[in-house]
Amino acid sequence: MIRVVAFRKAAVAGAAGALAWEGAFRIAKLAGFEGFDLVRSLGTLAFPDGPWPAWWGLGLAAHVAVGISWALMYAYFFWARFEWKPPLQGLAFSVVPAVLALAVMLPQLRLMHLPQPIAQLTLDLVLPQLSIMEIAGLLGSHAIFGLTIGALYTRPVGYRPDRPPALVCRPTRRRAGRGSPSVRQPGSGFMFATGIECSYPTTDHGRWRRDELAGTDHYSRWAEDFCCARDIGVTHLRYGPPLHLIFTAPGQYSWEIIDEAMADLEAHGPEPIVDLCHFGLPNWLGDFQNREVPQALAEYAGAFAARYQWVRFYTPVNEMYVCARMSALDGRWNEQRTDEPSFVTAVFNMAEASAAMTDAILVRRPDAVFVNSESSEFYQPCCPDPEIQSRASFENERRFLPLDLIFAHEVGERMLGYLREHGREDDYRRFLGRQVPRRTILGVDYYEWNERLVAPNGEIRALGELFGWYVIANQYFERYGRTMMHTETNRSDAADAPRWLWRQWHNVQLLRNAGVPLVGFTWYSLTDQIDWATALQRPDGKVDPVGLFDLNRDPRAVGLSFKHLIAMHRDEPEYRQCAALAQVLG
Amino acid sequence: MARFLSAHGYDPGPTQRPLVAGALAGALASAPAVGLLLVTGALAVEARIVGTSLLGTIAIGVPVMAMAGAVYARLFGRPANDPRAGWLFGMAYGFVLWAAGAVLVLPLVSGGKAAAGTAALGVFLSLVVWGAALGALLPFLQRPLQEKLEAAAKRSRTGPTEALPQLGSRTPV
Repeated sequence: MIRVVAFRKAAVAGAAGALAWEGAFRIAKLAGFEGFDLVRSLGTLAFPDGPWPAWWGLGLAAHVAVGISWALMYAYFFWARFEWKPPLQGLAFSVVPAVLALAVMLPQLRLMHLPQPIAQLTLDLVLPQLSIMEIAGLLGSHAIFGLTIGALYTRPVGYRPDRPPALVCRPTRRRAGRGSPSVRQPGSGFMFATGIECSYPTTDHGRWRRDELAGTDHYSRWAEDFCCARDIGVTHLRYGPPLHLIFTAPGQYSWEIIDEAMADLEAHGPEPIVDLCHFGLPNWLGDFQNREVPQALAEYAGAFAARYQWVRFYTPVNEMYVCARMSALDGRWNEQRTDEPSFVTAVFNMAEASAAMTDAILVRRPDAVFVNSESSEFYQPCCPDPEIQSRASFENERRFLPLDLIFAHEVGERMLGYLREHGREDDYRRFLGRQVPRRTILGVDYYEWNERLVAPNGEIRALGELFGWYVIANQYFERYGRTMMHTETNRSDAADAPRWLWRQWHNVQLLRNAGVPLVGFTWYSLTDQIDWATALQRPDGKVDPVGLFDLNRDPRAVGLSFKHLIAMHRDEPEYRQCAALAQVLG
Repeated sequence: MARFLSAHGYDPGPTQRPLVAGALAGALASAPAVGLLLVTGALAVEARIVGTSLLGTIAIGVPVMAMAGAVYARLFGRPANDPRAGWLFGMAYGFVLWAAGAVLVLPLVSGGKAAAGTAALGVFLSLVVWGAALGALLPFLQRPLQEKLEAAAKRSRTGPTEALPQLGSRTPV
């Protein structure tokens, strides 16, 4: 798949475009305009002497069918290529069918209307003389068509938050040759993992819900997805059920959305690491500024653990730093705020939610294991400018804040001042008294944009792989001293992904050899993702080719490399029995 | 479009056999196309223009369409495996073949003769239908033909040497 397309929306746009064309043409004709009558030309191919309803009906049907086909082509290949207003995009696209109509279709239609079966081509037949009115009419009609499809075909992915799709995850037909029967085998082997991308923040100030599970078709293809994961040989799957669709109101849950999928994972694996809150909240909870969030999410976590008691691995709140930053500092998701107090509120709400969810799960499952995933960040000052140095230094402290809270780790003097400034010192000190569960794993994600440069103008820019995961992850280990897992990585350049995978793996090996208790490695995600180039802000439907499989569920080269990697290492003694994981589980 | 497709990799998927699947789909898609040519009388007209018999035209046409199918599968690569939109991409390809072959090349090689009337409509529809059938069939033919993951993952080029940087001619020896 090259782009996620809203088929129905495109078809409606195409049909509407064709009808708008025909409507405008008939009105113009009544006003005395003599242009090229495409519908008549198409209809009279079959009914040359028939009554007008016959040729008009057939001609219009053909015209609409062609309109739908063009609209689908627009949706696949043209939509969102330019940052123009949607009707203008459609107008620009209409140049393509207009040129083809004038250069190819019109002469051919003339040939098709000839009575004889074979014609000797003449210049007049190949390049028919058209009046200015006819040419203007055709161009104008195409412009109407283009403007219409452009205006109607917008936002192919996501949905209005108050109009979620009716979903029940039903078993899909398994693909031939895929998904050999397997049984979930909980154990203490090294965790070779992947994940199903499941982000669900709102954008456009709460008016639009992004739902990566819907965009990647996981709701209807979950069984196939699990088979793909088993085929690669992963032992663990980071899996985030859609909180915003399941938790419909306080005390109300739509478990039927995931019951069958969870039963399949329970029976056949891979072992899920359940991700309970991934960048979004249910509509009724609002956003991460809401003080009710921790209590509500704790209720959800408890209910989840009670229903799926066999689940042992949990990520209560995924990437809290990233979520708080995107929601409350960069103004991209959920509350879309851009101020420091909102950031601090979001961080504390998420950290409190994470802690409360952990406690709620432990009541139902005392031996639960928590994989607290966070993005590994690093800020490099560009130059000796004291302001730039200070900014980088602050950001390098701020990146730890959510983890400092849930791991009851003391913050530095400067961060303490920052918290004091925002009136949260007492809350921070309460976290310091928290008993962190023994079965806790620090998940460290890493992408090529996680290392950043603070530029001379104070702007923060992605720096690429400067020091690499080994160095950055080691900073996190030195701070928290916890068992660790590489919980996310991928590469947006599909051709380069196998190289990135192996290099990340070598980082993992080096860190393990250095004595860091590292228990897992994750390629994220199983399938391609959508619209991460704009951090989900624009609902373009553009595919990020980062998956082990593409959205047709055809393997990518990196999928084969990961299978190769797992097969090469899983039976080695130190991976078959991972001592550090055994210690956490025991 | 080419740049857009390239973002997703021109490769048809490392386990796919696009040439075989495309050729097979191209040949199978010829069935409805030949049917349309027969119904509209276009086959007889094409045979007259080319100077062969009906059977001779089919005998030439089917292998040509098989080859065209293989070219489609290789050219469109991974997107051609899309079961939802394959028919659309195939139809577009069929349209291009019609515009290039029936509209441009055939008259050039036949001294300016071209199908007209219902036959011209038949030629057009047959190629568009052929393309749609090709595109719709291909994703389903790819699956049983694809290489097993186990075998594909054992290739040396999926292994750890992939970690080496792409230094091109400056690779140290």
